Amino acid sequence: MNAGDAKNAEKKKKESVFDLSKYLDKQVRVKFQGGREATGVLKGFDQLLNLVLDNTTEFLRDPDDPYKLTEDTRPLGLVVCRGPAVVVVCPVDGMEQIPNPFIQHE
Amino acid sequence: MLPLTLLRTAQNHPMVSGSHSSDASLNSALISKLVELKNGETFNGHLVSCDNWMNIHLREVICTSRDGDKFVRINECYIRGSTIKYLRIPDEVIDLVKEEHNRKESKRPQVKERKFNKAMPNKFSAPKKKKM
Repeated sequence: MNAGDAKNAEKKKKESVFDLSKYLDKQVRVKFQGGREATGVLKGFDQLLNLVLDNTTEFLRDPDDPYKLTEDTRPLGLVVCRGPAVVVVCPVDGMEQIPNPFIQHE
Repeated sequence: MLPLTLLRTAQNHPMVSGSHSSDASLNSALISKLVELKNGETFNGHLVSCDNWMNIHLREVICTSRDGDKFVRINECYIRGSTIKYLRIPDEVIDLVKEEHNRKESKRPQVKERKFNKAMPNKFSAPKKKKM
């Protein structure tokens, strides 16, 4: 029973949490604790949100402000991202910078 | 009223027409929320699901940078619960929570009574017979 419950819990976990399997072999953008950001092709992941990214490029940051990105990037290649350091994961497809969308409502 | 109860209710229910009708993303039937992360970025989007760790799945997201000068539209994103500073949820959700609570309260006693009537006598009588 306990093992079954654990399995069910795991299933629930996987269901409720964002399903990363549909982004396998797709470009994803990852933000890390501390301000680093990178994109890469998602090659694998586990339930702890450790990620394997291929062809990764890191977005370099302003030396004065670790949270401000600059235009510069650097290639990292194949990377394992540690789950606890991951803050946000999103697909690059459909990501676009837009003008302030909140002005019209105010 | 538990924080995660509120979130779970927000994820289950369609948006109620009301204070957020001016929202541009009204068309979606999900509840829109604002999430601020510890790093200062905010995410406006529709809550698809959350779990016990407050990990969150948002759709139709607008990510605002820390300084509020950059805005990025994202179809879908996953946010780790431990990095969230706070969430803003539409006021309607609190009423939904109360409704749900009342519904559950009215159901619970009936279920318990049934269990008592059927299960209790069997549990006590079965071992006695074996011992005898």
